[in-house]
Amino acid sequence: MSDYTIIGKRMPRIDSRAKVMGKAKFTADLKLPGMLVGKIKRSPYAHARILNIDTSKAEALPGVKSVVTGKDTEGVKWGVFSYTRDQQFIQMEKVRYIGDEVAGVAAVDEETALEALDLIEVEYEELPAVFESMEALASQTEPIHEDFPNNINVHINIETGEVDENFKRAHYVREDTFVAPEDSYFMAEPYAVAARFDYDGCLEIWCPNGGPHMKSKPLSNAFKIPLHQVKVRKITIGGAFGGRSEICPADYICALLAKKADKPVKIEFTREENSIATRQGHAMITTHKTGVDKDGRVLARETTCYLDGGAYISTGPIAVSVPFLSMEQVYRMESVRYNGYSIYTNKPIRGMIRTHGRCFAAGLDTQLDMIAEHLGIDPVEMRLRNVRKPGEHTNTKSKVGSCAMDETIHKAVERSGFKDKWGKLPPFHGIGIGTNAVQVGFPMGIRGGSQSFIKFNEDGEATVMSGVVDNGQGNDNMLVQIAAEELGLLPEDIHLVSADTETTSSDPGSYSQVSTFVGGQAVQIAAANCRKKLFEVAAKVLKVKADTLAAKNRLIFVKDNPEKSIPIKKVVRISLTNFNSVNAEGGYWPKVDMKREWVSNPYGQMCEAFSFGTTIVEVKVDPDTGQVEVLNATACQDVGKALNPLVLEGQFEGAIAMGGQGGMLTEYHEWKDGRCLNPTMLDYKLPLACDMPNIDTIIVESIEPKGPYGAKEAGMSIAMSAAQGYSAAVSNAIGVYMDSFPLTPDKILAAIKEKKSRPQNKES
Amino acid sequence: MRLPRFDYFGPDTLDAALELLATHKEEAKILAGGTDLLVRMKKGLLNPKVLISLKALNGLSYIKKDDEGIKIGARTPLADIISSDLIQIQATALSQACEKIGAVTLQHYRGTIGGNILQDNRCHHYNQSKFHRSGRQACHKEGGKICYARDESDRCNSTCQSDGATALMALGAKIILASAGHERTVDLENFYTTDGIMPFAMEPHELLKEIFIPFQGGQSAYHRLAFRSAIDYPIVCAGVLLTPSLTQKDEIEGARIVVGAMGRSPLFLAGESAGLKGKKFTDFAAFQTAADAAMNSAATFAVHNVGGTLEYRRAMVSPMVFRALKEAAQAADR
Ligand SMILES: Cc1cc2nc3c(=O)[nH]c(=O)nc-3n(C[C@H](O)[C@H](O)[C@H](O)COP(=O)(O)OP(=O)(O)OC[C@H]3O[C@@H](n4cnc5c(N)ncnc54)[C@H](O)[C@@H]3O)c2cc1C
Ligand code: SF4
Repeated sequence: MSDYTIIGKRMPRIDSRAKVMGKAKFTADLKLPGMLVGKIKRSPYAHARILNIDTSKAEALPGVKSVVTGKDTEGVKWGVFSYTRDQQFIQMEKVRYIGDEVAGVAAVDEETALEALDLIEVEYEELPAVFESMEALASQTEPIHEDFPNNINVHINIETGEVDENFKRAHYVREDTFVAPEDSYFMAEPYAVAARFDYDGCLEIWCPNGGPHMKSKPLSNAFKIPLHQVKVRKITIGGAFGGRSEICPADYICALLAKKADKPVKIEFTREENSIATRQGHAMITTHKTGVDKDGRVLARETTCYLDGGAYISTGPIAVSVPFLSMEQVYRMESVRYNGYSIYTNKPIRGMIRTHGRCFAAGLDTQLDMIAEHLGIDPVEMRLRNVRKPGEHTNTKSKVGSCAMDETIHKAVERSGFKDKWGKLPPFHGIGIGTNAVQVGFPMGIRGGSQSFIKFNEDGEATVMSGVVDNGQGNDNMLVQIAAEELGLLPEDIHLVSADTETTSSDPGSYSQVSTFVGGQAVQIAAANCRKKLFEVAAKVLKVKADTLAAKNRLIFVKDNPEKSIPIKKVVRISLTNFNSVNAEGGYWPKVDMKREWVSNPYGQMCEAFSFGTTIVEVKVDPDTGQVEVLNATACQDVGKALNPLVLEGQFEGAIAMGGQGGMLTEYHEWKDGRCLNPTMLDYKLPLACDMPNIDTIIVESIEPKGPYGAKEAGMSIAMSAAQGYSAAVSNAIGVYMDSFPLTPDKILAAIKEKKSRPQNKES
Repeated sequence: MRLPRFDYFGPDTLDAALELLATHKEEAKILAGGTDLLVRMKKGLLNPKVLISLKALNGLSYIKKDDEGIKIGARTPLADIISSDLIQIQATALSQACEKIGAVTLQHYRGTIGGNILQDNRCHHYNQSKFHRSGRQACHKEGGKICYARDESDRCNSTCQSDGATALMALGAKIILASAGHERTVDLENFYTTDGIMPFAMEPHELLKEIFIPFQGGQSAYHRLAFRSAIDYPIVCAGVLLTPSLTQKDEIEGARIVVGAMGRSPLFLAGESAGLKGKKFTDFAAFQTAADAAMNSAATFAVHNVGGTLEYRRAMVSPMVFRALKEAAQAADR
């Protein structure tokens, strides 16, 4: 399969140069003529009724050009699904977390805008607030949203097979509970949005996004204007990890301020706003009960998970499902019962995050290791007996096509020396393995497919139009590589117009790992269609049949006689002078079960492919301080096909940093009465480059028949398995199975102490 | 976040600086590297009308030695201290402490030793944005009547997280404070108040001119704990100095154990220090006893306000003190 010219090659990304030289323009860098500075007034209370808002003093301040409150809105509520619309973009009646939006101002400069914020007088009546999911469930006080008396906003129930029967016949059953607080994305780029209305009443808007079309629709709804009047523009984005997917109230507030002032407005978030007023990961309490046969094969599992859902539902149904989905994709279970609940609390809003369900997944693997120890099976064998095999179905009835799960385990085990190390390392030195899987896409209804257009310019170069957005993971480069490969051009001949709702077609966005699989595939098909047209013109000139031709290095040539060739540029020029279009389009719609629905029908084909990953981690724990030194991390993923190994390795490394080093050791939020105590880069302990261990990356290619060139996704199943690998390694080092994540030194030290104080010879 | 407005002066002589301080008193603040001051100003924690920059006062940047000890100008950049062989050999703890402050960029670019000692105490209920601090009562340090870190506390328990001050106190340093027409020398350990609102016993018109580290013929060491390997304040730290007996070279004559990031100031633990007199440099059991005693003494001062759990921070005093003692002893034994 290596007769590709550009695909599969270690190509430096097309966007790297501008980024490392500081030339890339992010939203905060934008300067529009006459632009005002926008600021948002936020609630300082976790739960309160708004009695009155007086903006008169702010409006009277010289330099203030517009002030908006809920009264200026159309009153449209936002929710990812039609049945989850619970959030006003500007609150009028009640605020539900510290940071909830109550007003916006736009002024000639930042100083004036901040002064105006202080001049807005809001009268509140404080209400009792709840900050933990269990407390919220049991709360007798005023519910956070009136229609939800016990604060449960999503309940997902999945049940397949004879769970109770299988527990009865199981050889060994155990039940354990695992907890973790919320974590943050900490994108390098704090959120920013710039907006303006033109003379036609069209809204033009720039902001980090996980898919421009996911922003334009809610904005058109909120303003009650036609969809085509919302033009979400392309802009460089500094990280998303799931946290830029939804519309952000600031998008709407910024646009509303611009409309009222009749001038462009830009809002730049502080780091604190980025932490508390975009999205966060969920705090989770997960109980896994697992029954296995004599050989350790899982017969039955019952999992109950409570997610602290924050003040509004957001992606609730998806968020509650995804940890379960990863579990059923990576591990076979003869039967399973899942009950997942998202519960309103007076904390910031939560969303999808790349390492969503770290506690769920790490808990699951911890329990597998416990069971394995009980049965005298080693962790690798335990996984080989339980992991997914190609051709099988998940419990919720998705057929799994390509799957090299086993191979990722074998390769990671070999590279890390796991077999020689496990059980043989000195005290406080440990090694652990984690395995995970992730879906490449899910049914996304009207925006589930992607379409691309390609046009040729008279210089023989091509412009590719695609709705795919690049959040920093290298999607732009991916599209260019694919188009260049298919068209026989060089990457520098491809010009990308992407992620702009005016000029590019609908696309699922950078969601659930579909950018390459769906958006990339659309470009591949469009380019193949172009090539076909080029070959027809070239065939006439070369006097051969079109199917004898190939294209490479800007030339179209006869496969068996490469001397016989014609430059692509010439073919383009001939076609232009002969009124013969070589432009083309192409689209890709994954074949999924459109009847599958998160809450009402969580069964059916979820997506067309799944990626599989294994991470093995080796650590040393300082028994005096509980601090963990990570010696090595081995990351191995079945990516389908590596379109660009250089980019993939970067994704693997980032995944270890986010899922393992940060996610499992240092990153979590601390609170005091709903106030986040560590919203800044100094206080939220994101790992630094110098904290990172050596990382070995291994790419496994299973060549997915339905993916472009066989590709699936890059790095997600590493981010997830890294969390599991890190926790397994620490547990192995200290000889205690940890059940509270992340594994901060205080918890590790307490576990070591507790173990020491235990009577000897008791089972650990 | 925005810096509030202020008037800026950049005097080029010490006298001119002291004159300005005498004129503007509490309305003025000295700006050294600004890595502590400007961050606090941006958060709206203070709003001085006047900033007196030390930028042009090159005369306050030096590392000198005479027969008595080492003299360091208050405006000396941290980077100069780290690269000084004199300090590395004669005041090892300070060198080790400065290496850990913030990150290389902060040490090279701006941070000074004077600013490090005089950086304000910290607390995660206080070092927050104006927005964070709104919608709740003001705490003592903000001019209110309560403390979020310790219930019923009549004062502020903010934590001194200065690496430099902890090491310097272990080294028995003195500081020289200048004001118009006046100068005084204070032992660093006597420089602190008992209220974190204003942790330093210093007048608004005074300027920190020099730090003096007396030669005591011993070995010092510094250990600290944080969550990351850089850009992280210590959550516990310890500086120690061990001096040998003149007659019995393998015996400890004097010891200074100082624990930092556990209270309103670095804590000089006189009792635990005195307990090491007469012990051998190889007596690790004695070090462990001293370290455990240091933990018990220091524990009472700490509150939960700089990250990590309180229990953990308290427990970590012992390993930090022990490691510092062991390292200093081994250096002395060599
Ligand atoms: C990200 C980050 C990480 C940090 N990490 C650490 C750390 O790990 N350990 C640590 O100890 N510190 C840390 N700091 C704090 C600070 O950067 C250092 O303490 C630095 O040494 C302060 O020096 P400066 O010259 O910048 O002080 P400035 O900010 O200029 O001054 C600090 C205070 O001292 C006063 N002042 C300064 N010089 C004089 C003088 N000569 N006379 C009178 N008053 C004076 C100022 O008015 C001000 O109140 C960190 C800061 C940041 C931003
Ligand atoms: S210790 Fe108490 S009084 Fe001092 S800053 Fe913190 S909360 Fe405020």
